[in-house]
Amino acid sequence: MNELFIAAVERLSRVAGVRGALLVEGETGVTVISDLREGVNETAVAALAASLFRRTAAASETADFGRLNTLQLEADDGHVVAVDAGELILVVVAEHDAQLGLVRYEAHRAAESLS
Amino acid sequence: MQRWSEEVARDPRSLAFLPLARAYRKQGLRDASLHLCLRGLEAHPAHVEGHGLLAMLYLDDGDHERAADEWSMVLRVDTNNFEALRGMGFCYLEQDRLSKARQMLERAALLRPSDPTVQEALRVLGTRQEIVEKGLSSSADPAFGDDPWAVPTGEPVFMFDAGTEAENAGQQASSPAPEAMPPAAAPVSRPPPAVPITGPLPLDPTLLFDDLLNAGPLLAALLVDVNGMVLAGRLTEGVRGDPAVLGAVLGGAIGEATRTAHHLVLGVWRGILLDSEHAMLHLAPAGSDAVMVLAARRDAPAGWVLRASTHAVGQARQFMEEYA
Repeated sequence: MNELFIAAVERLSRVAGVRGALLVEGETGVTVISDLREGVNETAVAALAASLFRRTAAASETADFGRLNTLQLEADDGHVVAVDAGELILVVVAEHDAQLGLVRYEAHRAAESLS
Repeated sequence: MQRWSEEVARDPRSLAFLPLARAYRKQGLRDASLHLCLRGLEAHPAHVEGHGLLAMLYLDDGDHERAADEWSMVLRVDTNNFEALRGMGFCYLEQDRLSKARQMLERAALLRPSDPTVQEALRVLGTRQEIVEKGLSSSADPAFGDDPWAVPTGEPVFMFDAGTEAENAGQQASSPAPEAMPPAAAPVSRPPPAVPITGPLPLDPTLLFDDLLNAGPLLAALLVDVNGMVLAGRLTEGVRGDPAVLGAVLGGAIGEATRTAHHLVLGVWRGILLDSEHAMLHLAPAGSDAVMVLAARRDAPAGWVLRASTHAVGQARQFMEEYA
């Protein structure tokens, strides 16, 4: 199973414009596998991304909008795409000019293979 | 794996090449998987699943052209192969051949209606077609009022590369050629401009965003402060739930979005797009201590939601300035 996680994260990291990816436990925000560049506080990123995902997922369910599939955070210098992968959350960090359609597609494929 | 491996070693024409190559791919042994797959297809050139796996291996490498070649071979043999229809749809989308992409993706959606990747690709496609149609019909923003889905904005703040769809339109758009693959939801890369609002603000803050709520496919428009208190806006009648609860849950998103962007050295956050089963939500900062929350029907184009959000943020800012 570990190899499966590593392969999925590595595949994502090869997509043009992707800076890195990590797999996080949805409930705890603990990193399972990470492939982020050096200098990034991956513990904090994992915890925050998981918390943001949980919070928005809860909001979606509260309003009866159903299960949250994808979260996309847009910022000045890049994007964060987080995808529901069952008990895990797949988090992808992409450059500002990354092809987001491709990033999202690959993230969904990877999440599908993991869940 | 050992059994398959022994079988292939004993008989290079064995069909065990397929499960073994799949297992290699799952383990991230891409080269071994590719080698095995190519060798297997030499012995079995019409093996549908072998071509399908080869397509996935090429896709893993980002080689969409070769992947498309393999999927087209699959479709020649098995016209209802879901993976191939989905893959071809995606490749056509990447090549900006939108009507062909729709053909493939809609067939894939018929086979597996709930597949999220197909739904995602169809949404990208819808947004692109909308932009192309807009670009061909008029360069100006539609007037608010005549078009029930039009959003009044000063200037567009999201940038799609308006692609060409010669096969549909029979003419060329004036914009330059698109990139290989468009963003699913165009990034909001700079702060929303101030949107001039004509007329006085409504006295009842719950009615502040009613021009939007009454005009399009919106389900909710709420202005929420950092403490989770709803400052303005409302949910539409069809939406279950209490706006105060929704606000309380989402109010904390401001701090988390700010800190996530900070830790990843991504600069200032500009928005969060959420895809749920039945709705699309957009959160955008409205000043430093409030967030604008829009929810739209699942079939609403992402571009429309982003424009509506920009407009709503403009209204929210004016509201906060006047009632601060």
